[in-house]
Amino acid sequence: MIFWVTLLTLRVHLRIDGTHRKWLVASLIILGVSTIIYVIYAASSPGGPSGGSATGLAFGVVGSAFMIFAGLLAGRKKVAVWRLGRAQTWMRGHLWLGTLSLPIIVFHAGFHLGGTLTAVLMILLIIVVASGIFGAALQHYMPSMMTVQIPMETVFEQIDHVRAQLVGEADAIVEKACGPLALENAALANVAGASNTPAALIPLRDFYAQQMRPFLLHKHLRDKPLGTREKALGIFERLRTLLPDTAHEPTRSLEAICEEERQLRRQTLMHHFLHGWLMLHVPLSLALLLLACIHAFMALRY
Amino acid sequence: MSAAAMIELTVDGKKISVPAGTSVFDAARLNKIEIPTLCHQQNEKPVGVCRVCVVDVGARVFTASCVRPVEPGMVVTTNSEKVKQARSTLVELLMADHPSPCARERQSGDCELEALAKQNGRLASRYTPPDTRRGVDQSSMSIGVDFDACILCDRCIRGCSEVRRNFVLGRMGKGTTTRIAFDNDQPMGESSCVSCGECMVSCPTGALTNKIVNQTQIAAPGAEPVALEHLRELPFFENVSGTFLSLNRNAVVKRHFKRGEVICREGEYGSTAFYILDGQARVSIASPIAHVKTKGAVKRFLGKLSSRLTQRQNDEREEETSQNWIHIDAPVDLNYENPVAILKAGDLFGEMTCMSLYPRSATVRAETDCTMLEMLRNVLDIMQRNKNFRAQLDLSYRQRALESHLRAVPVFAELTDEFIESLRDKVELLRFTPGQAICRQGEPADSFYLVRIGFVKVSQTHPGGEMVLAYLSRGEYFGETGLLKGDVRTATCSALDHVEVVRISADDFAKMSAEFPQVRQKLEATEQERAKMNRNRLSMVSSTPLDSFLKQGLMEAQSLLLLDLDSCTRCDACVRACADAHDGVTRLVREGLRFDHYLVATSCRQCLDPLCMVGCPVGSIRRRNSLEVIIEDWCIGCGLCADNCPYGNINMHPFNVFADLPGAAGKKVAMVKQKATSCDLCSDFAEPSCVFACPHDAAHRVDPRHFFAGLLQKASDSIPKE
Repeated sequence: MIFWVTLLTLRVHLRIDGTHRKWLVASLIILGVSTIIYVIYAASSPGGPSGGSATGLAFGVVGSAFMIFAGLLAGRKKVAVWRLGRAQTWMRGHLWLGTLSLPIIVFHAGFHLGGTLTAVLMILLIIVVASGIFGAALQHYMPSMMTVQIPMETVFEQIDHVRAQLVGEADAIVEKACGPLALENAALANVAGASNTPAALIPLRDFYAQQMRPFLLHKHLRDKPLGTREKALGIFERLRTLLPDTAHEPTRSLEAICEEERQLRRQTLMHHFLHGWLMLHVPLSLALLLLACIHAFMALRY
Repeated sequence: MSAAAMIELTVDGKKISVPAGTSVFDAARLNKIEIPTLCHQQNEKPVGVCRVCVVDVGARVFTASCVRPVEPGMVVTTNSEKVKQARSTLVELLMADHPSPCARERQSGDCELEALAKQNGRLASRYTPPDTRRGVDQSSMSIGVDFDACILCDRCIRGCSEVRRNFVLGRMGKGTTTRIAFDNDQPMGESSCVSCGECMVSCPTGALTNKIVNQTQIAAPGAEPVALEHLRELPFFENVSGTFLSLNRNAVVKRHFKRGEVICREGEYGSTAFYILDGQARVSIASPIAHVKTKGAVKRFLGKLSSRLTQRQNDEREEETSQNWIHIDAPVDLNYENPVAILKAGDLFGEMTCMSLYPRSATVRAETDCTMLEMLRNVLDIMQRNKNFRAQLDLSYRQRALESHLRAVPVFAELTDEFIESLRDKVELLRFTPGQAICRQGEPADSFYLVRIGFVKVSQTHPGGEMVLAYLSRGEYFGETGLLKGDVRTATCSALDHVEVVRISADDFAKMSAEFPQVRQKLEATEQERAKMNRNRLSMVSSTPLDSFLKQGLMEAQSLLLLDLDSCTRCDACVRACADAHDGVTRLVREGLRFDHYLVATSCRQCLDPLCMVGCPVGSIRRRNSLEVIIEDWCIGCGLCADNCPYGNINMHPFNVFADLPGAAGKKVAMVKQKATSCDLCSDFAEPSCVFACPHDAAHRVDPRHFFAGLLQKASDSIPKE
């Protein structure tokens, strides 16, 4: 129950639009009615509530139906263009009915864990619902965070390609300013092999060779100074003081490239957060449905 | 020669005898005494402007030897220290404002001025150059002009007038701004210059240089270099400087094609034009003449849309054209029902591909064994500027293409043969270079124009700037508004690329209007439609005050797919749904411009300024009056519209069709042909698939002006009122 209250509290903080409001009201009504029925049923059952009783079975059937409906969303997504109702409606149903399934199943179980299978089922259901709520919260808040924090966002699958383009652009900028870089060195750790760089531009070439290029090439170097906006600002400010005015424009371009690189890294991270929880939610949901079927079969058969 | 006509004089201590009237310069030269010069050439009249050929004849001042006739007993010194010093100073003065190394020095290392400066050790001048720069002119296809490198020696002017008798070049300006000028100071490419190259050959510096074409040699199988003497035998290379032709001769080859051999294929990119020397060629469109019809399947329940190729008689779309002629990059038009025609000796095709690098508009195959000249744009430019060739092209157009060209325009379909015959000798074929104005807003309307080659931009000037009204391609016309109203031009029409138009004078237009009232009625109806469209667009412009909204081109859109980034979880369900609905080919990419917290996804916006239409080699993409883009049946699948769309909103949809086997005439095989498609809004359904499939209510199809009305109003209100 505490879980349900937490959920409600969370929902209240979400921006619930008109379509959500209808679902919320309907869910509250279903929950209210179920609670009343359960209280009456529990009070009138001498041996206490049981999943095998008629009312208990009814709760089980309704709860399972909600779970199955929630599970059908995955199938619905596979046939996204079939005119089976808008995907948005399915998603609303998935969220609200999927969440409702937990208290209904708890009523079905009479607040008992039962045997091993039912205990596993209950734990799975709690994890699935909890992960779902966590995912919904992420999907609610993170898109606007991404919009604000990653103005240079690109298609996720294109990130590696864009990053490679950034390295190319940066090479071209430095080569234009400082002369050819010795890029044939496979390690690329030291591209400062060019001998015809004007003396005034050597700091730029060295900075690029020793700090910036490795930062652009190795996406896992998060702890590098250029990986933080504030530190990078300081680094580029200092670099500009070492360079003639003519090199300030290329330096600004390099700074912009570093900023884009940081944004792409942040996008990757946020994308993994945004969709990573599904790695837990989806397999456990499948397992839950499978075990629920076994439980139903076993309970009805024996 | 009589002895009385001979004059004796002494040059550098050597006694010589030359005919009376000979210049001191020639007298010395005839006796192997070299006097340096810049402005003088043997085949031109001497003018003595550079003074580099100064010599000491014992007079008060030195004299220019090229214009000074010999006199009996004259004692000439050409190389005393004083003479050398004077010459060196002159060269140094000329070098003061000479951009060293100039284009010629960089190209071939033979700038005469810089060579003299090197000889005199005066490559770096001590004199301060003037502040004024005279600039460059790159408008000509084959000759680059750098006015700063010009020393005003007039060799080019004399070459043009005395040697070639073209009288295009002259001088313009005063003092330090004096420079050579073409016609009445026109850019070279827009002048009456015939590209004979004499000026370039005459120029001693890098002021006039041969333009290096990127692809300087045609590397085609079986390409046969054409000897200079053979080139000069061709009538259209008459009067072209041999040196100039020699510099460009790698840019033209002779090619022999066996019967049935493919000469060029539709949709392919190329950079050459073909001129048929003998034989015949068959020009056709191999792509199916049909458009992409996307329909719902299985009672629309499955939401699957199947795309197939459909001809217009089986699927008449709103405002689909009824024209029966397909305009191609050749002197003939193709029939919609049977898109095949024959090209003969003397025909030129592939001009648009060559000049503007558009894809080939049709497939050309040798009908008989034939020989062709294949040329790059510099040679084509030389040909097209040649008076003989122009005359031949004009004649060919009037005799063969004018009628089909006029009849291809639905408005003129009812003109009688007699009237077209009467127009045949009256119409004018005019050429324009990219950016050149054909007619200007506010000028008196004196002509009606039909576009023959290229694209014309129609724009109006308003207090806020220029507004593009339309892009007109081959077969379309303009200039009727001013003529019908008897008023001034209401818009400026300029060449977007290399354009050729057919000009019909106001008198002939008036005659046509009087004789054929139905033509006038149709033209008036078109004029009213265009005026209405322009008014709508103007009202849209004036009602959208937000700069960024305009900058992002959102105002251009009739309908946008917006993704609310605050709701979108980047799950790509919209993209997958679009692909699922359209045979696996998505017409939507979840990337694009951002406005506020909305992403304008890459999906057709039905722009008001549809750049996708520019360059279509067969003019198959055009706009309905509702401003929506329609792709006509004769799309050849070249993909240029997809490349041109600045928002990446046109996709190429592959279809399996039966078409001619490459290299084997008449043999058909199954192959993949592409057709351009754009978002059709899944019009068979109540809602586009992308919007329908979005689980987060993030995708919306909207009219931006209504959707953003509140935001725009807010932004507008925040602008302080004066």
